[in-house]
Amino acid sequence: MPDNNILNAVVGYQEAVKAKEKLEQSGTDFSEQKGDVGNTIAKLHPKRLTLEVSKIIKETESTKTFRLISTAGQLPPFQAGQYINLFVNIDGTETARPYAISSEPSQRDYYDLTVKRVHEGFVTNYLLDHVEVGQQFLSTSPMGTFYHNPLYHGGDLVFLAGGSGIAPAMSMLKDVLTRKQPFNFHFIYASSYISDYIFIDELRVLAKQHNNFTLTEVISRPPEDYQGITGHLSADRIKSLANITDETMFYICGPTPFNDYCQQQVAELGVKNRRVRIEANGPPKNPDTLSNWPTSVSMDDEITVTVTGKGSFTAKVGEPLLNSLERNGYSAENACRSGECSLCRVKVVTGEVFNPPEAHLRKSDREFGWIHSCVAFPTEDIEILL
Amino acid sequence: MEHFDAVVIGAGNAGLTAATALQRGGSKTLLLERHNIPGGCATSFVRGEFEFEVALHQLSGLGTEDSPFIMRKVFNDLGVMDKVEFVQEGELYRMFVPGEIDTTLPACWAGLKSKLQEDYPKESDKLEAFLKLCSDVTVESFMLLPQVRKTNDENQLKANCPNFIDYGLRSAKDVLDEFFDDEKLKTVLAAYWCYIGVPPSQMPFQDLAVLLYAYAEFKPWNIKGGSQALSSALLESFLEAGGEVRFNCGAEKILTNDNQVRGVRTETGEEISCSAVVSNASSVMTYNELLDHDVPPIEISKDFKSRRMGTSAFVIYMGLDCTPEELGVTSASNFVGNTMDEELIHDCMNTMDDPVAGMLTCYNFDDPSAAPAGKSLVSLVCLQYGDLWKDIAPEQYAQTKYEYAEKLIDLIEQAFPKIRKHIEEVEVATPLTMMRYLNTPGGAIYGFKQNPQDSNLFRDHIDAVSGLHMAGCWNNMGGFQPTYMAGEATAKLVLKELKEKEIEHA
Repeated sequence: MPDNNILNAVVGYQEAVKAKEKLEQSGTDFSEQKGDVGNTIAKLHPKRLTLEVSKIIKETESTKTFRLISTAGQLPPFQAGQYINLFVNIDGTETARPYAISSEPSQRDYYDLTVKRVHEGFVTNYLLDHVEVGQQFLSTSPMGTFYHNPLYHGGDLVFLAGGSGIAPAMSMLKDVLTRKQPFNFHFIYASSYISDYIFIDELRVLAKQHNNFTLTEVISRPPEDYQGITGHLSADRIKSLANITDETMFYICGPTPFNDYCQQQVAELGVKNRRVRIEANGPPKNPDTLSNWPTSVSMDDEITVTVTGKGSFTAKVGEPLLNSLERNGYSAENACRSGECSLCRVKVVTGEVFNPPEAHLRKSDREFGWIHSCVAFPTEDIEILL
Repeated sequence: MEHFDAVVIGAGNAGLTAATALQRGGSKTLLLERHNIPGGCATSFVRGEFEFEVALHQLSGLGTEDSPFIMRKVFNDLGVMDKVEFVQEGELYRMFVPGEIDTTLPACWAGLKSKLQEDYPKESDKLEAFLKLCSDVTVESFMLLPQVRKTNDENQLKANCPNFIDYGLRSAKDVLDEFFDDEKLKTVLAAYWCYIGVPPSQMPFQDLAVLLYAYAEFKPWNIKGGSQALSSALLESFLEAGGEVRFNCGAEKILTNDNQVRGVRTETGEEISCSAVVSNASSVMTYNELLDHDVPPIEISKDFKSRRMGTSAFVIYMGLDCTPEELGVTSASNFVGNTMDEELIHDCMNTMDDPVAGMLTCYNFDDPSAAPAGKSLVSLVCLQYGDLWKDIAPEQYAQTKYEYAEKLIDLIEQAFPKIRKHIEEVEVATPLTMMRYLNTPGGAIYGFKQNPQDSNLFRDHIDAVSGLHMAGCWNNMGGFQPTYMAGEATAKLVLKELKEKEIEHA
């Protein structure tokens, strides 16, 4: 600043200039903080993890647990109930699927992913049939909003689990028990067949050992002369099993039809929205049965997807856009693949897509044509910006 | 190699306005953004039935349709006025200090005066003079001073900016003390200090004057669909003008040749040639990590040494299953404090102790469409320096976060006692969350600490690397209006420079 600066006439100006000089003498150019932001975030939320299968545990005929260790340093912390998105390359197709961590957060030597076979499950079947110890994968760091939030969930917890929905439940339960939380935790664990129950022996032992953990098994296709509880988790059934108060917190996790059914049943019991958490579970299998599906369009219709400046391909209406993009060699960042996390957001330049209720779009997304490609179904030829 | 006239690094407010103004001004522009969505902190996220506004509390500078102010022209020039809908707020804020203060100020210059005079009759004449001073200092420092400085004529300064000379650079506390005896009144008038991040004793009076005058005269606003709607509208305008954007694509290096920008290397390793780079990243990141120099340019280094890291924030985003009325909300913006001592509040920002002052913003009070019927969208905020959070062990992070959140809820519940029992969705953001999403040192939300020395009055424009320009809050004020304007101003400068180069080469 020149000495003849007219601001010298302003009250306080010269003092401030002197104060600035003083600051300059004691300050740094921040070069000592080089890399600090990146390193700080990497300890909590690294963008990618490189994981190696250290052990494969056969849980049932249809289910395996894959124990994954980090190839570099300790695994980041997570909240029990969260998932990682596992990237795979299957016969040249780069894709990914989110899996809840079934191990507890108090140890971070490994993450367990418990995977149950799904009919025609592209990735699930690959994992169960082809993955071996020593194999490496990339994944996201743990994410998701399905966990016990101490700010409002309280200590009266009921988990309605269906099938592999027991995976996040197991992590949450062990976390509660390890940290000796003063919670009452009640699992109502539904399965079609007894033989499909995952972790059932361990759960029965834990229920005997801990007064604050209750396990209720409900079988929908019981063998003859089965003595236990049978049927579905109807409102009446849930009411008879759990002592529901205003403070009860419900967690629901299972296949999408199970989630939808349970949500409806607890709502019938007058349970408020704020007392129910439901884990999303992929795109809808039958979007054409949902309201607002265009009547003139059928799931098998073929449409053309054009990626601006890059190319085009044909795909079926009934296939989520993200999946067809990946099958055709395009990639978009993704994680939850259930419409929630918004990482797979792309812009539709022309054409219409069907956005099911799973798509948690922002108001302005709808306005300016942004969609969540993981749950979007193109109902005519479209052009997108990737 | 692909060539662009300009590459803009970062699609925050200033990056978006810079890119849009550049492209609309005829420069072929590439916008790089490391996230999947434009906006930086001007964004939103969805949980359940709620869409949470991340950062915007009160947009300033719009004025009304009948009495427009500068941001209407800026947004019009950027082609977004017809793409967004603004919502006017009726109140400036409610100030609540248990047992001491509970007052709500209207967003109206005349109404503000009469409300304050009614509440503090003994200070009536002083209030008249103080508010006139606020408007005079605002006009002098933001309209007249820039013209006068060009003349460098002290007589011009004395003739045009007499109030600025006497008051503009004194501390806000000093001026409040000169005018008033009533401590409560001083606290009520100084509430907006948290939009700057430094207490009244460290804040130049001109900043407080402009906040009070501009919000009351030109009104506080919000946006339908939140700040994300404006971010997306800016991007739309940029794309319509032919701009190119890449998401999930951070810049890794700014490449130079003989201290002249030649391109940008992205995190995927691709090199892009360009004549100019506009960085919307923090200046610390830009010069210390992105620029391909081993050490930052000497004038930058010197400038940095007189800067101090600014504040971050701790925010709780909440969807409540009750209406704003049921919650007791009478104003969109609410400041709640356990003390009237701003020094103490600022000291607390440097600790993990229980927060002693915070804010609650209710987004569907003035805009019912901001939440589902029968529900409320609120955020609870307290300012806090970010470095405190860096030393917390990763496995302790979640628990520390929730414990601190409980304290902030306790504080705010003194004014709004029913919050806890209505929580339907909640997400907690710490300074590390700000760091993660904004990529700023210390998770800073307003850039460097906005002490008097941070002001441009004490800084020369630095042109250390030819073709490299900054746009954002790091060499300007923080906040929405300042960053939108900073981006636009930088674009004008770059357009001029590119044009000059064109002529040179012609």
